[in-house]
Amino acid sequence: MTLFDLAKKNVARNLSRYALYVGTTIFSIIIYMTFATLKHSGEISALAETSGQISGLMNASTFILLIFVALFIAYSNAFFLKGRKREVGLYSLLGVRKKQIGLILLFENLVIGAVSLVIGIGLGLIGSNVLLRLLLNLMNSDLSIGFTVSTSALVETTLVFLAIFLFTSFQGYRVIYRFKLIELFHADKKGEDVPKASPLMALLGILTLGTAYTLALQDLATSPLWGYLAAAMPLLIIGLTVIGSGLLFHSVLIFILGRLKANERWAWRRLNLLTTSQLLYRIRGNAKTLTLISIISATAITAGGAIFSVYYYAEQQVTSYAPYTFAWQGDKQDIDADVLAETSVMQKTVRVALETGEREYGVIDETTFRKLAADLGWSEPEPLQEQGVFLIDPFYDERFSEDVNDVTLDETMYSVASRYDKTPLNVMTFGGLFLVTPDDVFKTLPGEGTMYQAVSVADYKEQTALSDRLSTADNFSSATALYAETMAMHGALLFVGSFLGLVFLVATGSIIYFKTMTEAEEDRSKYAVLRKVGISKRDIKRTIRQQIAVVFLAPFSLGILHASVALFAFSRLLVMDFTVPVLVWMAVYSAIYTLYYVLTVRRFTKYVI
Amino acid sequence: MESLLQVNAIEKTYGKGNTTFKALNDVSFTIEHGEFVGIMGPSGAGKSTLLNVLATIDTPTAGDILVEGKNIAKLDEESLSDFRRDHLGFIFQDYNLLDSLTVRENILLPLAVAKTPVRETRVKVDALAKRFGIASILDQYPYQISGGQKQRTAVCRALVADPKLIFADEPTGALDSKSATDLLQTLAGLNEAETTIMMVTHDAYAASFCRRVLYIQDGKLSHELIRGSKSRDVFYQAILDELAKGGATDDAI
Repeated sequence: MTLFDLAKKNVARNLSRYALYVGTTIFSIIIYMTFATLKHSGEISALAETSGQISGLMNASTFILLIFVALFIAYSNAFFLKGRKREVGLYSLLGVRKKQIGLILLFENLVIGAVSLVIGIGLGLIGSNVLLRLLLNLMNSDLSIGFTVSTSALVETTLVFLAIFLFTSFQGYRVIYRFKLIELFHADKKGEDVPKASPLMALLGILTLGTAYTLALQDLATSPLWGYLAAAMPLLIIGLTVIGSGLLFHSVLIFILGRLKANERWAWRRLNLLTTSQLLYRIRGNAKTLTLISIISATAITAGGAIFSVYYYAEQQVTSYAPYTFAWQGDKQDIDADVLAETSVMQKTVRVALETGEREYGVIDETTFRKLAADLGWSEPEPLQEQGVFLIDPFYDERFSEDVNDVTLDETMYSVASRYDKTPLNVMTFGGLFLVTPDDVFKTLPGEGTMYQAVSVADYKEQTALSDRLSTADNFSSATALYAETMAMHGALLFVGSFLGLVFLVATGSIIYFKTMTEAEEDRSKYAVLRKVGISKRDIKRTIRQQIAVVFLAPFSLGILHASVALFAFSRLLVMDFTVPVLVWMAVYSAIYTLYYVLTVRRFTKYVI
Repeated sequence: MESLLQVNAIEKTYGKGNTTFKALNDVSFTIEHGEFVGIMGPSGAGKSTLLNVLATIDTPTAGDILVEGKNIAKLDEESLSDFRRDHLGFIFQDYNLLDSLTVRENILLPLAVAKTPVRETRVKVDALAKRFGIASILDQYPYQISGGQKQRTAVCRALVADPKLIFADEPTGALDSKSATDLLQTLAGLNEAETTIMMVTHDAYAASFCRRVLYIQDGKLSHELIRGSKSRDVFYQAILDELAKGGATDDAI
């Protein structure tokens, strides 16, 4: 029997063990292939011309994905090798040379790589076509496309994964040369001291995280810290968060578990004793993984939450920028659609001296403003006094903007009776800044005034043809066009965001799954003892559920906490309320994560009892 | 008074179709309260299968097992677990201690599962540990203590829930001769204090501590030896003689 026969037999016999690794690899290839196809697809390029951000976004995302996929495969390969140390040791003991063992592993890895590449690319082709359609849908595009096969995506995927396989093969080779035979047989037999956490380190962990959160919640505009540290600030926050999370798993969790175990009233009930001991026994070795998972989860939840929020508010944003479907300078035109509101606006322009310099305002009279307010369904403005004006400033931000309390028009002083922070007229046509004066004041202001038209029609999202016909007018603005643009951009953003979010989610779930199943192998005999001692399946299932729940829940809750702080800071920066979209996103994320938990518990239980 | 354990014509068949193998074939015997019974036989004779079936870890293909008149072959999975926990104690060759628990925690595990109050648990564990000379290592972990100490810990765990019957599966198999003798004397002492013990062994020396020895061969009980009023040394010689008759297939020494 040649060595290669041995390797082949090995693969065939240990198929279930290989299945996990092969599965991860195939999954990574599918993801990468799908993404590369999208990037290289002609349809996307065509879209990219109209909205320039997409191609840049795709390139950046592919790069992130590349790093991530490489890490993920390297990680699962390391796990895979760890599980096989004993087998390698056995070969070694039987006198097979290290070089030959290395060859076996190399051969195996190449076979796995080739098989995964073929399957992954095949499935990736299907996946990318499905997702391409979904993407076009999200972007509100009515392009229709056939089945696409992108040669450049194929070449790119193959090259990337060949490089990765080369790296993992080298990883395997290194494992063989680095270890000594004796270690192989005592790898998991060595008794380990149950970890004790120093309260000092636990406290330090909490303090570090607290500092990171405090820094993150500093107001960008007013905090002196941002002034000093500027660009270093985000790095500092991320660094402290990572260290804090690490300490939390390394010390705080151990501290809590130690306390629980010491509490006899609680611990000496059912299998609580076993649950805490098992967790304690494992947790220090798992601290790095748990930290990694909490950070990945936090990233995915934050990015996804932010993107989803922006998408969620996209429509609102459109209507706030373009309250009327169309607006233009000049005379009325025929509108062949269901008109909801129509107003002619006479606008004059004034320059007003303020503390921070001169600003240009559009001026409209009170009658026009009342008509606009009524069209838009605003509450009725109170009557203007003789010396009063309304100030409309949709860009007002209390942190940056000057409070304007009176303005001088034509050498007369007017006091601002009321300030509106939303505009009644399309920003792209009118500019957004207005002063509303009493009708007679408006007439006496110098200048001829310019005539504008503002029209609202029903189903404004669907009026592309009308919008195109009107677009020749001067200073034309269209909510229809703005909506299409916004959707194209945010749709792509949402797509890329949820795609990467999903990849991260699957990665975290899989990492915990790998780890837990590796432990299941070591723990099998323990649960056999419990069964023999007369502990019921019900009790054993309960302790398994609890143990796995802690391993899943601890990094996830921390990830959620990190993400909540980040999203809170982000929403304050953008002055938007993220609550609803973020909660929806977190709910979806948690649901998929829970699925992973249930799957892991099932497999674990099935394996050990 | 009813017999503690009554085994009626049990069979255990492995495999399906043409390749079946009868590990146990029509085995019947009785164990009374307070007995110390040894089960001997060559490797593959069915000793471990018998113990597993009696210990309710495995189920017989046919036949009945009555413990104080109650047929445990008919119990469902959950009641079997409870039965095992409340009435049976186990001692294994490889101790089967959990290495993530301290000695104390290993011993009290069955009580914890039975939801015994903390105070009672503590009293019981301390008393047992003192009796078996492991009080000083209660807070150590299994990997820190010797084989003999591990086995005494296992004995404490087997006894902590006051079982009716203790099953010992090659309990001296992994011990040096000094520790083995200590353990056997401990078991004999327990037996004198009214605990019923059934021990599977292929070591004649270990078997000589029993009051009665059953031989099993090819899945069947072949014969039995009773110590009666003989001294342990005489009984030991009788067992050796009996084994010698078995011929070359014997692995008793």
